[in-house]
Amino acid sequence: MDKETEIIVKDFTSVLDELTFNSRPIITTLTKIAEENISCAQYFVDALESRIEKCMPSQKLYAFYALDSICKNAGSPYTIYFSRNLFSLYRKTYLLVDNVTRTKLINMFKTWMTPNETTGGSLPLFERGALERIEQFLIKASALHQKNFQSMLPTPTVPLLLREIDKLAGLTNERLRDQPNDQKLQTKLMVLSQLKQELQRGKLSLDALKQVQLQLTEVFAQDQQVLQERVRYQQFQQEQQLKQRERSTTTSSLEPTETPMPLGTNNSPSPLFNGSVSSLFGNVSRIVTPEDFAEMEKASKLTSIQTLFHSLNGAGLIFTPPKESIVTLFDKIDSTNKLNSKKAKNNNLPSISFLQDVVSNCKAYFATANVNILNTPTLQLSQQNIVNDNPVVTKSLIHLLYRNKPNKCSTCGKRFGNSIEERKLQTAHLDWHFRINKRIKGSSTTNAQTNAMTSQKNIQSRNWYLHDSQWVKFNDDEIVSTQNTFNENPKQTIADVDQQKYASGSNGSSTATNIQMSNFEDMLSLNKNDANNSTSETADLSKKYVIVPESTEDMTFQCPVCKDSVTSVYDEELGEWIWKNTVIINGKKFHSTCYYETIKNNSSL
Amino acid sequence: MSLLPGLTDSNQATDLFVDANEVHKLVLKEETEWKVEIPSSSKLTITIRSGIAEIFGTELANDVEYTFSNWKISLSAVENVILEWKCPDIPNKDLMIEPNTTSKYVYNLHFGLEKMRNSSFNGPRILVVGNANSGKTTLCRTLCSYAIKFKSYQPLFINLNPHEGIFSPPGCLTATPISDILDVQSQTWGQSMTSGATELHSKQPIVKNFGLENISENRSLYWDNMNQLSNAVNERLQNDVIVQRSGCILNTPSLSDLDEEFNELVTIIDRFKVNIVVVLAEQDEFTLFEKVKETLRPYIGDFLIRLPKLSGRFEADDAYKRSLQRTAIKEYFYGTPKTILSPYASGADFEEITVWKPINMVEAQGTTSTSNPLQLLPVTVDASTLQHALVAISYADRKSSSSEVQKASILGFGLITEVNEKKRKIRILLPVPGRLPNKAMILTSYRYLE
Ligand SMILES: [Zn+2]
Ligand SMILES: [Zn+2]
Repeated sequence: MDKETEIIVKDFTSVLDELTFNSRPIITTLTKIAEENISCAQYFVDALESRIEKCMPSQKLYAFYALDSICKNAGSPYTIYFSRNLFSLYRKTYLLVDNVTRTKLINMFKTWMTPNETTGGSLPLFERGALERIEQFLIKASALHQKNFQSMLPTPTVPLLLREIDKLAGLTNERLRDQPNDQKLQTKLMVLSQLKQELQRGKLSLDALKQVQLQLTEVFAQDQQVLQERVRYQQFQQEQQLKQRERSTTTSSLEPTETPMPLGTNNSPSPLFNGSVSSLFGNVSRIVTPEDFAEMEKASKLTSIQTLFHSLNGAGLIFTPPKESIVTLFDKIDSTNKLNSKKAKNNNLPSISFLQDVVSNCKAYFATANVNILNTPTLQLSQQNIVNDNPVVTKSLIHLLYRNKPNKCSTCGKRFGNSIEERKLQTAHLDWHFRINKRIKGSSTTNAQTNAMTSQKNIQSRNWYLHDSQWVKFNDDEIVSTQNTFNENPKQTIADVDQQKYASGSNGSSTATNIQMSNFEDMLSLNKNDANNSTSETADLSKKYVIVPESTEDMTFQCPVCKDSVTSVYDEELGEWIWKNTVIINGKKFHSTCYYETIKNNSSL
Repeated sequence: MSLLPGLTDSNQATDLFVDANEVHKLVLKEETEWKVEIPSSSKLTITIRSGIAEIFGTELANDVEYTFSNWKISLSAVENVILEWKCPDIPNKDLMIEPNTTSKYVYNLHFGLEKMRNSSFNGPRILVVGNANSGKTTLCRTLCSYAIKFKSYQPLFINLNPHEGIFSPPGCLTATPISDILDVQSQTWGQSMTSGATELHSKQPIVKNFGLENISENRSLYWDNMNQLSNAVNERLQNDVIVQRSGCILNTPSLSDLDEEFNELVTIIDRFKVNIVVVLAEQDEFTLFEKVKETLRPYIGDFLIRLPKLSGRFEADDAYKRSLQRTAIKEYFYGTPKTILSPYASGADFEEITVWKPINMVEAQGTTSTSNPLQLLPVTVDASTLQHALVAISYADRKSSSSEVQKASILGFGLITEVNEKKRKIRILLPVPGRLPNKAMILTSYRYLE
């Protein structure tokens, strides 16, 4: 390698080392270097191959993207050089990465198979042999995946399948109750009963049983999807009802008949979804659970129930009826009843972790019942007190930070106590989360007639810091108050950039701050007029354009807000020259996004 | 078939199903901590399934997925904890799980402070000092988090270590009332105020821009910044009963960055009316501790406590510190994956901007007559000095004098992304949409390349 080549290759590898994230600029740079220095092709190929081999799995895809870009743009000899090791590189990478990346790798591979311009438009990007091997590999990989899935199903036996058919029939019946006229469902029920008869005759081979099993799994998955969708729809309906009810309580004078009634008979979620799904047809993770693992889990559950029982008992929380009590007598007499009721009780038992929480919370309550920080001399700050073990702290005070407030917010982990005041705080806190989440997700309103959703995203930016004189008077209650969220409260303190006159450097090129609210409204109404599919406010803003008038001599203008020059582009669909992302307000042209932001900002100041 | 001889053998087949997205279950015993260094550009997700776990004093909600990246964290089990985690780049073996040997001291300290808050309207003001990597920030963060858990106190966290960006980019001295839970996923502790809805309540810091990397580069400027900050802090405390009662928790630069006589510590104690000092030092650093103790005794008496270095701390090398600084700058403009911010690229002509810079005494040694070290120097606008530079935007008008700018409050920061010398224009990334404010700017030593 001569000096010059060495420098170029070094340059290339150092840029390549930066490729630790999916960066278009870096990939473009690499491609450019590769295009301009064909003489170094072999070195670049070596460097890129070793990068793919050696970098972290999560970064391999980006290196592949660089390879892809170089080959698609520079073509030969890169395509020839890379073809040599392409299969083994691809295969190794595929095996190491997660499923999302695998999909991306497959998508990239698909583009290699289509004839490419750099190869004259008639051939795939790489040598056919290499591509075929990758294709074979991918087919195998997915087949193997399928096989693996099958092998995880339990060996089908007639009784097992019969049971599953019954379940499936039950499900179908349930759906039929909601849609009594659905022909397909009725047919399905018939097929199921025929299948059942066939199985009961017991003439089917194991292979045939397996076929049946697979098919049932598939049908079940479909049914589950339908039902899930229905539940989702019901939840949505209920939310809407809730909202309406909220509204109706504030407006108060709504007639009771207008209060929407819960939908249908299926108001409570079907039992299928409360976790007790059948062994075969549960979600995939249930299917794969090997039996011995289930045993282990059972055993560990049993021990934790036992420990739980002992600690509950120790805390005096378990009521044991005395021998001579009516309860014990009754149990002895009615032994069958006892068996049944035991089963029922088991089903309604809350989860172990919940019960453990209850026990620990009780302990914490008792541990902190009689402590008083002020009357604890060992809390006096001194070297001795801090470094010595202090049982008051470790046995009782520590609970003040945790379980003394037993109600933990399921969103942020903040704790609340049991007093009435704390309960109120908690309710306000949860309401606040609810409102904030709604705003973060974007307020969605549904148009009843078209069922079209329009949403407004929570677009936000960092605020300026307060001036020292504002900060010293600021009170954080303004932030942490759960009564209002930012922007709902117009009095929120924000930076007073008072002398911010936006003094434009010269001859009135900036009219930004002179724009009044009325113009803003003009713009919004304009927005409604020409945009017929308004989905997102900002997306619309940047989609706005202005057709360059024929009389215009200057095809570019300067946006008065950001000072960028905007050049017109030819729009194929319109057959016109346009300025993208542009609005004309009072004869002045702005970036429509800039204009909107400035308005929004000014109105909030 | 023949094309893929290796595929059917069993090793290969299992390879295929080593799922990088595999969720691992982990049980942590009470009083242990899991120390994780998340590889750069990877991310770790953690979901607590049962028990109580916290990171630097902030308790995690159960059954909520938390995401961490570019960071080293210690997840501490207050009770036995069952959790699930996922990270393709961390092998599920030899996890660093160690007993938490220092948490008991932190609890003792916290309840000592709590007692003081209960007994006086004037809360404790605690200064945390120690060498680099002794766990100062970890201790401050934990004390702040604990302080707000039982009662709704609002302790004032004061960061005097410009290497760390907490609620701000690096290079700053800041004070922030901790009025609500910190963001357990954030190296910068959470968001400073934004214009929209955030998952947690944001915080409102006051920011002084030091702008240089090391205090030694201009000590006078650093101390002047500290003075300005302490003036504002003392006024706030007079106005704000809750903050006053909750007290202050001060983080300091590494002891090695301060003067050898520790006179600078005395200045901090004096300016912020500190009444407790915690020194993080090991037994073998006893002479160091004794020296600090002797120097400070006249000012705070016996309220000087030595704790061993925290077990949850990490050795932070230069590369790691820089990556934290990069993250702080990035988060200032762009927020976090859960709170995405939209910064705004604005343009300006060379003639429309005024940039100053502080004197770097180390570089300037012998070259300039350093009559007034606080003086700001005008910066010629060109690509070599301003490209990719982080600039502080002051409240002072663009035409203000050097000393006016130096005394002015800080409005925020901008990032100069492009300097076009031909067109004589710059492009600057602003946190807030709109035109570049007509204000004087101060060049910092920090560069950020997107
Ligand atoms: Zn919460
Ligand atoms: Zn613009």
